[in-house]
Amino acid sequence: MNAIVILLPVALILGGVFAVLFIVAVRKGQFDDLDDPPRRMLKD
Amino acid sequence: MKSRLRTRPNSVEIDPAGVEPAATPDTVDPETGKCPHCGTPVEGGEDEFCCAGCEVAARIITAAGLERYYREREAFAPRPRPLPGGWDTVPTTRHADGTCEARLIVDGLRCASCVWLTERLLQSTPGVAEAMVSYATGRAVVRWHPEQTDLTRLAGRIASLGYRPRLLGEEAVPDRSLLLRLGVATFAALNIMLMSVALYAGWMDSMAPRFVALFHWASLVLATPVALWCAEPFFRGAVRGLRHRSLHMDLPIALTVAVLNLHGLVATVTGGDPYFDSLAMLVALLLAGRILEGRGRRRTAEAAVSLAASVPATARRVRGTALDTVPADQLDPGDVVVVAAGEELPADGVVLDGAGLVRMALVTGEAEPVTVGPGTRVVAGTVMEAGSLSLRVEAAGRDTVVQGMVAELENAAERPVRASSTDRIAPWFTAGTLGIAAATFGGWWLAADLSAGILAAVAVLVVACPCALALSRPLAAAAGLGAAARRGILFRSADALLDLDSIDLVALDKTGTVTRGEYQVVRADDSDLRIAAGLERFSSHPVARAVVEETAARGIPLPRGRDVVEEPGAGIRGIVDGRRWWLGAGAAGELELREEGSAGVGHRGPIALGDRVREDSAAVVAALGAAGFGVVLLSGDHPAVARRVGAAAGIDSIEAPLAPGSKARWIRGRQERGHQILFAGDGINDGPALAQADVAVAMGTGAAASVLAADAVISVPSLAPLLAGLRASQAARRAIRANQIRSIGYNVLAVAGAAAGLINPLVAALLMPLSSAVVIGESARVERVVSRAEQ
Repeated sequence: MNAIVILLPVALILGGVFAVLFIVAVRKGQFDDLDDPPRRMLKD
Repeated sequence: MKSRLRTRPNSVEIDPAGVEPAATPDTVDPETGKCPHCGTPVEGGEDEFCCAGCEVAARIITAAGLERYYREREAFAPRPRPLPGGWDTVPTTRHADGTCEARLIVDGLRCASCVWLTERLLQSTPGVAEAMVSYATGRAVVRWHPEQTDLTRLAGRIASLGYRPRLLGEEAVPDRSLLLRLGVATFAALNIMLMSVALYAGWMDSMAPRFVALFHWASLVLATPVALWCAEPFFRGAVRGLRHRSLHMDLPIALTVAVLNLHGLVATVTGGDPYFDSLAMLVALLLAGRILEGRGRRRTAEAAVSLAASVPATARRVRGTALDTVPADQLDPGDVVVVAAGEELPADGVVLDGAGLVRMALVTGEAEPVTVGPGTRVVAGTVMEAGSLSLRVEAAGRDTVVQGMVAELENAAERPVRASSTDRIAPWFTAGTLGIAAATFGGWWLAADLSAGILAAVAVLVVACPCALALSRPLAAAAGLGAAARRGILFRSADALLDLDSIDLVALDKTGTVTRGEYQVVRADDSDLRIAAGLERFSSHPVARAVVEETAARGIPLPRGRDVVEEPGAGIRGIVDGRRWWLGAGAAGELELREEGSAGVGHRGPIALGDRVREDSAAVVAALGAAGFGVVLLSGDHPAVARRVGAAAGIDSIEAPLAPGSKARWIRGRQERGHQILFAGDGINDGPALAQADVAVAMGTGAAASVLAADAVISVPSLAPLLAGLRASQAARRAIRANQIRSIGYNVLAVAGAAAGLINPLVAALLMPLSSAVVIGESARVERVVSRAEQ
């Protein structure tokens, strides 16, 4: 059970990294247009 | 001034494939093919273009090395039409690196290949730094080096392919903050949930208290930003509601979040059940609902902006012997301008010279053109169908009649927002919850002790949070808006969609709503039409377009005219099938076709032009009647004409003639008698009626300003979406009602349980998503209900 004391912060930090990545992606406008890129890909 | 007399080439000179079939225009070619660019059937075999525009388009595409388009496209291209000028007067954004940027709407994009073609063609134009065309919204963003090219050229490039660019103004950037909040709330909710699962499991076989405390503290760290930052929109909504002295739905939500957070803080410190999992999940679910609702609204707003975008207006001003092109709003009273067939009148004024047919639909709402001559007063924005004239300007820009009507419409668009049924429930809900929480607290305090009172009261507030109730409306509305949008009707807001269900009377404008509102061929013999199309094939005159379109629609291959000479206002002459013809204006609303042979003049049957009832109008009216709505036709036209249209559409109740202002008065009269009225119209002249109606629907093919003033816009040239909109409204209302009943029922049970002290954090954490899932399921049924109603 004592492993929790280390594992819990590790898990939260790992999760936090992904949350930060998500925030960066939203800020860069990656989610602004969800309709066009899938179509564009087929034409290139 | 350019010569008004134009001769046309009788054969195509350059062919992209390099094979030009030998032209034998004096005999009927039995071989028929399709125009390689737009697919119009033509006589003369494969590779024969229907018009010079299509041929130029094909040449441009070949020259740019984009032939791939022809192999991959899923639909034929539209026929190119000349693009009005004025693009050089458009203000553009200038970047720091010296490039200019403009945003355009491109009409006529039919498949992914069209988008690809337009984008590549712009990119391959010298001087273009960047070009992006969106399939989903039809928007193009171009950035170019102003010393190498200009917008006139770029817009011309798009138009030469058959697509139609229009200018797009500033648009709001999408709001990203809700998505950020949702991301953070979901991250926190899932992590808290993981720890809570461990806690609930640990309940059974006693977890060491220090681990329980660790989990609680970790949850507190995660839940704090959720309560303080992610839930901010709900706090704002609640405060805004209170400032307007109304108990908004956000109030009980904000209250629950605040109580949960405070309680959680205290419970973590003192060692109790903090309910953090419920808190985070609640906020995440509600944010998701809000995003869904906003997405539907954004799509509608984009569509409305697209429909309202315009081609810049210019005028050709005469000064002495000089003729120059200036922006229409820079004309001064007293200026003289010339207007040719197919152009819009740039200003209000008096005709000095010339004659022609002017379509006044914008002002009178009628499609039939009016004959004008010297001394006639005309207004800006009306369309010159035929002829040419010079005009002395009396008012331009903001002072014109039409601009005045537009301004009035824009004022009318500021409608007061009505309270939704959920908002009406909210105050009772809030008051009831608070009352029960207080009673629970008092009861347990008296019966047991203070801490038991607090615990039970918190449990009441947690389970009483109207999560499902608050979700029921945005989810059902989003589903309804989506179902309606897929069928061609776009609602400005969820309120507009839901109001539609209380309508009992549908008033339809005649021209452009029940009818197509276009000048087109209504009656003609096939062989006459074929000859007329041969003459008119290369003309850009609106009548010519109507003739060629009708011929193509009937599947008659276009013959080739020879030695065609067009004299605006005096008809068109040429040789088809080796015989000499003249085509020109005959009796009112008719084209006359004459054979001019050596044996004398032979008359052929007239080609009648006019407005036609939409193909689906009768079916829609019948379905509206069957659904219990009263249908009335409102028209400014002659009663006989209105009755004829009414008969064709199956409408018995007809109000005609009504002046534009009296349409609004008629609607007010009916409203005073207790009717809830939907009005569908298309023109600027319908503005007052659109503003007066309970729900206003504009035809997207009509005037841009009416689109801005309406609650909903029909984006396809058909009346059927109106019916789809009513069905979507009904389905959404029913889903909301069902959800409200269920979620209130759930809340009553849960609150009773909590007041009795039967609810613990595990039960609360399970109950909330369960009730939300029921709401989501009910909302997802809206699309199915609508499509079932269509069968």
